[in-house]
Amino acid sequence: MSDEIQVSVRTFDQATVIDLMGDVTTFAEEAINQAYQSISSDGASNIVFNFRENDYINSAGIAILIGIVTEARKRDQKLLMTGLSAHFQKIFRMVGLTQYADLHPSVDDALSALNNNGS
Amino acid sequence: MRPPSNRVVELKIPSELGYEKIAREAVAMVARRLDFEEDKIDDIKTAISEACTNAIRYGSGGDSRMKVVVVLTADDTKLDILIKDPGISGDPPIGVSIPDIAGMVMGEERMGGMGLFLIRNLVDEAGFVEVDEEDDDEGNQFRMVIYRIQDDDEDEDEE
Repeated sequence: MSDEIQVSVRTFDQATVIDLMGDVTTFAEEAINQAYQSISSDGASNIVFNFRENDYINSAGIAILIGIVTEARKRDQKLLMTGLSAHFQKIFRMVGLTQYADLHPSVDDALSALNNNGS
Repeated sequence: MRPPSNRVVELKIPSELGYEKIAREAVAMVARRLDFEEDKIDDIKTAISEACTNAIRYGSGGDSRMKVVVVLTADDTKLDILIKDPGISGDPPIGVSIPDIAGMVMGEERMGGMGLFLIRNLVDEAGFVEVDEEDDDEGNQFRMVIYRIQDDDEDEDEE
């Protein structure tokens, strides 16, 4: 019943982008964590999670992201999130996830912000 | 095309994660017929997803042979959602605390507890219904109410 998530990675000068297409639920845990661990092993320091606006994210999906926030703090990585609908931006603020990851409308905006911060 | 008062839609979904999406789509269709605004419909979709996920995961232990029943009752002013599960995990939780994300990130708090918190913040009323022991419906019943019209006049009077 779940739309299997497709996870792909793009590398830019400023950051590594993990594109998420599909439901971010408990079924997505392995794919998301694998992508994150892989780019972390390659030394990624700025990581952008790029969501597709109309996809379904539930509390289990948010828990996966909190797990990544935990890892990212230990590795001193910066997390950014893009592509979220207004609804899920609200949800992420509600649970406090935005204390640990900056939200931007698009990947381009996130990369520009990193440029401006000199990260 | 608004439905007349007290239209009832009843769904019975397998107790298997992923099937909550059927309830999610169904409630969106009903809410649109009631002229709920799109941002409110998004709130309702998330709330019903979380409530059904809890019913599947905890209320019936993810046993897909069991069923979760969703009853959507719409009238001119509100959408009333009742979710019934077999209640095999015992009594439902009482009280909802704000998730301690900082504690989770520091590894001091167990991950989870966000579903009920989200529900309580997204709908107007939410809670477990006390089920009469003589009632044929054994198990847990979780009810959510979302009002279509915010009573702005009342808010203004209070100010």
